[in-house]
Amino acid sequence: MSTVDIFVLAMAIMGVISAALVAFHPNILHAAVSLIFSLLSVAGLYGALGADFLAAAQLIIYVGGIIVVILFAVMMSENIYRSRFLDNGGKFLFPFTLSLVILFGLSKFIAATPWPRTEVVNRNLTTTVESIGLALVGPYAIVFQYVAIVLLSGLIGAVVVARPHHHEDEKRGA
Amino acid sequence: MPQSLAEFLDYYVANITGWNLPIALFGLLSAVIVILLFAMPLGGICTYIERKLAADFQERVGPNRVGPLGIFQFFADGVKMFLKEDTISKNADRMIFNLAPCLVTAGSLGAFAMIPFSKYVIGANLEIGVFFVMALGSLVSLGILLGAWSSDNKWSLLGGIRGAAQIVSYEIPLAIAVLSVVVVSGSMNMFKIVDVQGSGAGAHFWNIFHNPFVLINFFIYFVAALAECNRTPFDLPEAESELVSGFNTEFSGMRFGLYALAEFADIIMFSCIATALFLGGWHLPFFQIENIDLGLKIGDASLNPLIHTLIMTAVFLAKVAVLVFVVMWIRWTLPRLRVDQLMDLCWKYLIPIGFANLFLASLWMWIFSGKSMLQVLGSLLGVSA
Repeated sequence: MSTVDIFVLAMAIMGVISAALVAFHPNILHAAVSLIFSLLSVAGLYGALGADFLAAAQLIIYVGGIIVVILFAVMMSENIYRSRFLDNGGKFLFPFTLSLVILFGLSKFIAATPWPRTEVVNRNLTTTVESIGLALVGPYAIVFQYVAIVLLSGLIGAVVVARPHHHEDEKRGA
Repeated sequence: MPQSLAEFLDYYVANITGWNLPIALFGLLSAVIVILLFAMPLGGICTYIERKLAADFQERVGPNRVGPLGIFQFFADGVKMFLKEDTISKNADRMIFNLAPCLVTAGSLGAFAMIPFSKYVIGANLEIGVFFVMALGSLVSLGILLGAWSSDNKWSLLGGIRGAAQIVSYEIPLAIAVLSVVVVSGSMNMFKIVDVQGSGAGAHFWNIFHNPFVLINFFIYFVAALAECNRTPFDLPEAESELVSGFNTEFSGMRFGLYALAEFADIIMFSCIATALFLGGWHLPFFQIENIDLGLKIGDASLNPLIHTLIMTAVFLAKVAVLVFVVMWIRWTLPRLRVDQLMDLCWKYLIPIGFANLFLASLWMWIFSGKSMLQVLGSLLGVSA
């Protein structure tokens, strides 16, 4: 067992435990905090498999951006410290059956899919920055531009929602 | 290529004593060296210098009782922090309250691994160095927000929310300014970025003088870095006149100590990045440190790399010291901005100017095929630069 394997195993265990905490912790703020560790372990896995750029992107986007937004949302919600996992008394039979069916179906699919077992794993830990950059402006240029437009429209939407509505007040006053 | 600090230590220990110790041991040792012997004393000395400078700016004497010129004041402060009663307020969320200072410290100290202090030694030579430093910085905003929330205090919470909003916003101009350097040097590897800034033949001068747009982006970087460290004029998260002490109001003892250390570590770290990216790192103008040869040896190992490393680190830290001084100078000179002014500055001025500069810097690289200002000027005047 090499050092990389031990690291991958540790990250996987940390990811599973913190993901379980996210799902089952009665305190939603603590659940959000365990989500940090879940995402950190995913970043660690990317790093161990040689996807260095993806690991840093995972940190900067999910840990630095998404988690902050989630924390803000959690802090604005009610009953952070009192909500319990089984609070919606008895109404968990249907979701439970549904998720069992989904789990069964997914595991069937996973078992039946012939997974490609190529050695694409980057064990020499060479950088992936250059190939990602070339792919983004080469074969995936259109997708890249499309994502940029989606993000820009999101940004403009946020500005429209957040800007002060002085004009309407002036009209009402006049 | 540079060695990691662990390999460097291993090499010299093996040559001097003949022991073959596992490299992982030196990895741990180098982490301890960086944190205990570098970041913590430097943070402590910074608090002393800050007090002395503040005193100078306000025409006072400043700390003068502990040791000559009060120079051991920071030891006294450290002892005080260790011995202080460690209080946690009754309604605090203990788990998060304990976790938050650790996140802040991990974020700001972890980034030191990527700083190339000399040509031979670097903590970790990552290809995505700059990007990873930015990524680690995001842990700091989380630590501030969580610490503020968990202390169950309105002032803390207001400070924490301001801090998170401010850091998340100013990360954008910071990243844009850094990207313009990445465009100019064609790499995200901190070591390579510094290495190409040498003053040797064919290599261009420091990145800040590469073209006018990078020069402007340096100032954008500096303003954004000030905001990222929560320093005046952007110290809204801990605005004393409004919020008691902001996000760290409820923290005492070593937990507060970690926040204070992380603040100074952040200042030093951002100054280090500025030095490496814009100010030529360990390079001196018109002089190559690698050319020094004193011919000293220990056993079979030449001492030259060690001497060069020490000189280069000194040069690097001298540049960092100048930047840290400017940060402190600004703190004791400028008043604090309002929240709306802070956000205006970021979104209406720094980001558009930064983007324009990034675009124009890329255009410069394309038009002049990577030549620097001096080289272009030289070829116009018919002198070979």
